[in-house]
Amino acid sequence: MTARRSLLIALLASPVLAPTLALAQSPAGVPAMKPPIKATPAPAPGAPRTIQWEELVPPDWDPFKDFRGLDFQTLDDGDPKAAALLKKMRAAWDAAPVNERLVGQVVRIPGFVVPLEDTNDGLKEFLLVPYFGACIHSPPPPANQIIHVLPRTPAKGFRSMDTVWISGRISTPRTDSYMGVSGYRIEADSVTRYEERRR
Amino acid sequence: MKALLAIAWASALNRRGTLALVVAGIALATALLLGLERLRTDIRAGFSQSVSGTDLVVGARTSPIQLMLYAVFRVGGATNNVSMDSIRAVEAHRAVAWVVPLSLGDSHRGRPVLGTTTAYFERFRWGDRQPLAFSAGRPFAGTLDGLYEAVIGAEVAETLGYAPGARITLTHGGGEVLGVEHADKPFTVVGVLARTGTPVDRTVHVSLEALEAIHLDWAGGAPIPGMAIPAEAARKFDLTPKQATAALVGLKNRVAVFNVQRFVAEYEGEALLAVLPAVALDELWQVIGPAEQGLLAISGLVAVVSLASLVAVVLAGLNERRRELAVLRAVGAGPRHVLLLLAAEGVLVTLAGVLLGAALAAALVLGAGPLLQAEFGITLSRAAPTATQWALAGAVVAAGMLASLVPGWRAYRLSLADGLSPRT
Repeated sequence: MTARRSLLIALLASPVLAPTLALAQSPAGVPAMKPPIKATPAPAPGAPRTIQWEELVPPDWDPFKDFRGLDFQTLDDGDPKAAALLKKMRAAWDAAPVNERLVGQVVRIPGFVVPLEDTNDGLKEFLLVPYFGACIHSPPPPANQIIHVLPRTPAKGFRSMDTVWISGRISTPRTDSYMGVSGYRIEADSVTRYEERRR
Repeated sequence: MKALLAIAWASALNRRGTLALVVAGIALATALLLGLERLRTDIRAGFSQSVSGTDLVVGARTSPIQLMLYAVFRVGGATNNVSMDSIRAVEAHRAVAWVVPLSLGDSHRGRPVLGTTTAYFERFRWGDRQPLAFSAGRPFAGTLDGLYEAVIGAEVAETLGYAPGARITLTHGGGEVLGVEHADKPFTVVGVLARTGTPVDRTVHVSLEALEAIHLDWAGGAPIPGMAIPAEAARKFDLTPKQATAALVGLKNRVAVFNVQRFVAEYEGEALLAVLPAVALDELWQVIGPAEQGLLAISGLVAVVSLASLVAVVLAGLNERRRELAVLRAVGAGPRHVLLLLAAEGVLVTLAGVLLGAALAAALVLGAGPLLQAEFGITLSRAAPTATQWALAGAVVAAGMLASLVPGWRAYRLSLADGLSPRT
């Protein structure tokens, strides 16, 4: 894939950025991508609020801030500028901030499992990502589109890229680590297999 | 009912030869089913036990499964080595907390030799984040003075009878008998690791520098004639490791795992691969899952065949038992009792077979367990049967009950007169 194409695709294919993009530029012929999993709204009172992946992005975060006024059409294949831009964009995504308003809330969210610690009792740690293959096959999702899940009881019987519902309180560990605030963490009260709602 | 069972038992005893064969058949089929299931669960458990707390395994670009198999389970071979420069570049990534390089390729009496750093003993985790513990001795020093020091796994110590202080020589490559020995540079065992039930148990650990030292006077894959460097002189050479086979990587924050993975994949100096251990293992199960199921299906078929032979034997026996059954009918047994009698016989035979099979499977686990552990690093647990094992045994018993209804039904239909006046 050429640098320009990958830059454009990286721009357009991100489900997070698509709504922002549509607002900012509304390019013709570019379908606004939606996450493949649709959350079901209207929870029962007292139950965790079901949220969508878009809500994890702070509403005022504009990843295009540094890229305004750039005409991607003028960039040529193999243009070192394109490669540099891609790198810059990658850095912006890696440092994507979290939505502080969500922190502390008890939420329910669906996603795909990327196992981290698999023991005989089941999964003790995994990452939840919004789309299938959010791994090596495509550029990794931005930092605020990955949730580090620590189930309270090990989740048994799940494998890579199984779809699950998780619920629990969102926190953001401020460790000495990478990038100050480092994405979301949920100590999940429940991890259940995702099932399409039958109508 | 009790009387009926007594009669069934006495009658079966009379035909013990054929029935014993049927019991043996069912026992073997059950042992096969239960043994396979035990092997399947324990291999999976063993693999997922083998690495913990490691976020990425980095190696030369190959299949993720192959990298995992080689770097963590010491199965198969590496396609290529990784230069230490690349490993240091990964270590310098701001999200990376620690890196433990691994260098494989040599062996000691069939056991893999792992070259690594002292960080291995601090960072490596198995099972549920359990650190390595020493049952005797200490880690190798990792300095020039302690160059020829080795730390051995529990299984190596046990089967080869080594204790701290033992002198061992390493073999170039994997051969057990014909391998080329690094006999001029013997190692001293300084530590023995506590048993983990993982491939660590059958590994000999030495420092990366020691591996450089024993290969100093080698070129092009063979010792250079007339250029032997004595063990002591080797210390004067530059022993900085230049390459390794793979590296275990731990992150400061696990959310950054995709970024580091991408960084490794796009590393410009060398074609590298980084895998998430648990994801690679899932891929492995996806690959071998159908084969496992095929094996289980075949052993299920074996069980069906042995149950079919039960039906055949009892049915064939019916003919010679016409008189016996007729006599029972004549003294007052109803057709119902005859049905029960034959069904009870079938159930008893199946139960005996299943019990014997379970005992056989348990004996196999006890008998072959140490061998499997020594040769392949697979630990068979001697725990109670798993849920699936109970289900399998139950299925065999249930199928045996159903199958024994067939001859029972046939005897039920035979008239009294038919038995009393056989046309023979």
